[in-house]
Amino acid sequence: MNELMEHTQEINNLLSRYGVKFGIYKNNTFHEQLFPFDAVPRVITHEEYVKLEKGLIQRVDALNLFLKDIYTDKKIIKDGIVPEDFVFLSSGYLPQCEGIVPPKGIFSHISGIDLVQAKDKSWYILEDNLRVPSGASYPLIARELCRRASPKTFRNNKIVDNRNYHKLLRSTMENVNCGGISVIMTPGRYNAAYFEHSYLAERSGCVLAMCNDLFVEKNRLYYRDYKGDKQQVGAIYRRISDEYLDPLTFYSQSLIGVPGIMDAYRAGNVAIINAPGNGVADDKGIYYFVPKMIKYYLGEEPILRNAPTYLPFYEEDRKYVLEHLDKLVIKDVAEAGGYGVVFGSDLSKEQLEDMKKLVEKESRRFIAQEVIDFLDLKIMDEDGALVPRKADLRAFVLSGEATKVWPSGLTRFSRNPDSFVVNSSQGGGFKDTWVLSQ
Amino acid sequence: MGIISVEKADHLFWLGRYTERVFTTLRKFFHVYDNMIDTQEIERLYGEYCERLSIPNIYTADTFVQKYLFDEENPDSMRANMERAYDNAVVLRDELTSNALAYIQLSLDVLKSAEGKGAPIFKLQPVIDYLFAFWGCIDDYVENEECRNILKAGKYLERLDLYLRLEYHTKDIEKEFCKLEKRLVKSGLPVNTKKLNRLKAIIAKEEEWSSCYFEALSCLGGILEVM
Repeated sequence: MNELMEHTQEINNLLSRYGVKFGIYKNNTFHEQLFPFDAVPRVITHEEYVKLEKGLIQRVDALNLFLKDIYTDKKIIKDGIVPEDFVFLSSGYLPQCEGIVPPKGIFSHISGIDLVQAKDKSWYILEDNLRVPSGASYPLIARELCRRASPKTFRNNKIVDNRNYHKLLRSTMENVNCGGISVIMTPGRYNAAYFEHSYLAERSGCVLAMCNDLFVEKNRLYYRDYKGDKQQVGAIYRRISDEYLDPLTFYSQSLIGVPGIMDAYRAGNVAIINAPGNGVADDKGIYYFVPKMIKYYLGEEPILRNAPTYLPFYEEDRKYVLEHLDKLVIKDVAEAGGYGVVFGSDLSKEQLEDMKKLVEKESRRFIAQEVIDFLDLKIMDEDGALVPRKADLRAFVLSGEATKVWPSGLTRFSRNPDSFVVNSSQGGGFKDTWVLSQ
Repeated sequence: MGIISVEKADHLFWLGRYTERVFTTLRKFFHVYDNMIDTQEIERLYGEYCERLSIPNIYTADTFVQKYLFDEENPDSMRANMERAYDNAVVLRDELTSNALAYIQLSLDVLKSAEGKGAPIFKLQPVIDYLFAFWGCIDDYVENEECRNILKAGKYLERLDLYLRLEYHTKDIEKEFCKLEKRLVKSGLPVNTKKLNRLKAIIAKEEEWSSCYFEALSCLGGILEVM
């Protein structure tokens, strides 16, 4: 392990060489930033992983059943498990997707589930990302470089090889492919996760396409080459948000979508990965109901716990939230990427009062959670000393022929000793995640 | 991989052009830089160089080296041309491979870090080395032949343009024309045959060369039809 840590700078240099970056807009200007890598890995024991794996598969299977139900029969609403307000008022619910069941009934093919580990070593789910979760490419390329830096470390530790993500992705796409080529669609190089789009295309062998390369004819999606020939697309892993996907169905001003793609999808001629409309299930408000979904659809007890969450929408919860606001973390359900997260303890008396008024006025807009005392992970600081920092884990669950967890994940950490926010857009770094095989 | 869209073809072609522009003009600059040691007419020297390349002469004897090589805001600088190469390369990772793309990234990093450091020929030598490595990677790693052909069509077109402008020896120009012609045919890019043939005729007629200089450049500029 020491040998690996000694090469931290060289690994970061290689990440720079390979253009492992993410994009960020500051003052309306696009910047590419390196994603700082810390060579001290997060280690997940075999026993821990077995439990995590079961819990994650259970959760994603339930979420997929929820999505199918919501866009078809709505039994979970009729049976009073999830209030209809939380479904139909969610910005992620898309009425345009009503009645559509995607190929093989899979809605969330690639799910990014964010977890944290508390000091008592128990894991909590922080949020589900079922739209276009990003981040798998970073640990994928970092593992390659770490193995080069210290083969001994990998020979002497029983670490599950994680360098198969692109194969898992490809087989997940092929599983639902409706006939034709598989493409990864990117909005372009000025997207925050562009590196990932291009790297996954390179590794998986899928065609990297932009909107201008694609067109719909007679309810079929095609990719056009420079000689004027066309190839049918059977599966599209789109890395753009639902609202920009099809200007004829959603946001009409979108310049990065493919006109008519929803018609091709509705006709069953192309699989869209992940399915449009998934936002209804990863809404921060719906998160509260996921344990109930697991019981409802699978008849099982949830294996993994949610962070203790309150919905100000319910009077009883609202009362508790208003009384304990200074000890809770408040999340705006419409925000993502670490934005819209407010720690009550950071607010002044006046700010707390303002927040209370806002929560009372717009109770559906917020959730409140107990602050979990994260287990700190060690990172190496600029002087080479090991210091504790807050970290989370994004686990990737791929739903193909079977639901599988990628035995790795993106461990993000805060570089600021006083911060809980680990997002790359807010200055965080990342680590390799080792899953031990025994 | 395996199917190239119009947009990708365009990026491949321009990546070929910009990398070649940096490669050839940098090597030429090394000579100009050396010649500047022995002359009192530095302004005339770089003035002629700018005129040949059809770039505005916005320099003074004191600013030429830094501004021509490193100025990010100067669209004709070496740095700006490398940035354009990067812009075209970064959207082609799936075609080029990360290994080849890395050499474009490294070339740009060198140009960025060498600014204001002195001894530019020493500092920029790695750019030449990386670009050689880039083309080696293209031959070794890029499986799609069409992709290689379009890239090289861009490269040879740019090289021929620069060789014409910088008055390279006729033998070199003929050699580069042959390479370009072969690549254009292989690439499947839409070629204006009339202009290609006229250029061929001009290059073949060595004795009338100087009178046809502008026509040759114009033919080369219009050799490809819009896709």
